[in-house]
Amino acid sequence: MTEPIIVRVVDIVGGPICVSAEDGQRLYEKIAPLLREGKKVALSFEQVETLISAFLNAAVGQLYGEFPEERIRELLSVRDMDADDLDVLKRVVENAKVYFKEPKKFDKAWKEEVGDGDEE
Amino acid sequence: MIYYLPTIYSNEEGYEHLAELSLATKSLFADRLELNFSRVGFFDANMAAPLGAVLARVADDLNSVEIVDVPSLIERVLRKNRFLTHYHYEPLDDSNRTTMPFRRLQLSDEGLFEEYIKRELRGKGIPRMSEGLGKVFKKKVFEVYQNAVIHSESALGIFVCGQFFPQKRRLDLTITDAGIGIRERVRRFLGVKISSVRAIRWALQEGHTTKKGSQPGGLGLKFLHEFVRLNKGRIQIASRFGFYEFYKGKETLEKMAEDLPGTSVTIEINTGDTAEYCLESEVTPENVF
Repeated sequence: MTEPIIVRVVDIVGGPICVSAEDGQRLYEKIAPLLREGKKVALSFEQVETLISAFLNAAVGQLYGEFPEERIRELLSVRDMDADDLDVLKRVVENAKVYFKEPKKFDKAWKEEVGDGDEE
Repeated sequence: MIYYLPTIYSNEEGYEHLAELSLATKSLFADRLELNFSRVGFFDANMAAPLGAVLARVADDLNSVEIVDVPSLIERVLRKNRFLTHYHYEPLDDSNRTTMPFRRLQLSDEGLFEEYIKRELRGKGIPRMSEGLGKVFKKKVFEVYQNAVIHSESALGIFVCGQFFPQKRRLDLTITDAGIGIRERVRRFLGVKISSVRAIRWALQEGHTTKKGSQPGGLGLKFLHEFVRLNKGRIQIASRFGFYEFYKGKETLEKMAEDLPGTSVTIEINTGDTAEYCLESEVTPENVF
């Protein structure tokens, strides 16, 4: 079995604070080409101090728009992550799956509920 | 023009008063605003953030802004938190370190915001505030800030200010932008003329995001809500005509009388909370995807 390429998140972000969508996008741009080539990637969150959903939506959530779930499960892994950060990542992943499956479903329901002409 | 500001609490009425100021100064151009504080009986320090946003817009319309007749106790607080130093007052040393100073940041200043949070949270209930709580709180603050960066389109930047109350074991932090507001963002996304109140309710639903395209979103406010519920803290959101508050398990969502441009989010945390925030999780690296 081939060893995954280890991507150290702190090195890509340039520090332990992973909070911006912009930094998340940079990480995404490192990971996505490797997955396209079918390479295994391990994201290491070693030394990461603060991690939020806005960062993970861009870095990881976005992958579900391009790759099937099974492919991500097969090629991508994470390590050195705190339990609470893993929880956040799980929520981001589940949210992304729904978002890319039926992005317009919620919106349609809401449009029907709020209607038009609700002006202030 | 001379404008007499009334008492400003961090509540719906306080935001309405700031909206009135915004409305009264809307057509002032290349003129002068004298903001008179003599009728201000009390001013919640975190409200310097939304006041700063209103005054930044006034100044951006090429008006000079002066703040006068500030009652001495209020002046002390607003000099300590550096708000008044933007209006030619001398700073006062915050020897008890109870302020989270007023800062105006540009959308691109994320690094400066990180430094601000790191520096200013020190000593505000920490170490009394458990390490886990401090860490979780920081994350929620970054989520709110990131929402402003991603969604606000605030050309005038982002305004932050807070206050720590050691006796009450409470820390208030307000993050304000002078952007398009939640209503406009949701209107553009849904394509319907939704009201501010309904737009806020929409934005608070898990998975609801106005982001289009490749990046999913819509978790930040939900996470904030969950945290505040556990912590027994408070959230306030004021955006255009909408005011939302979650406190002690009760949600209120009201229409404000006037239009307050932009969005303000206040997080009040209970720093005496000893709950454990590193909960046992069933999520493992093996089942996360």
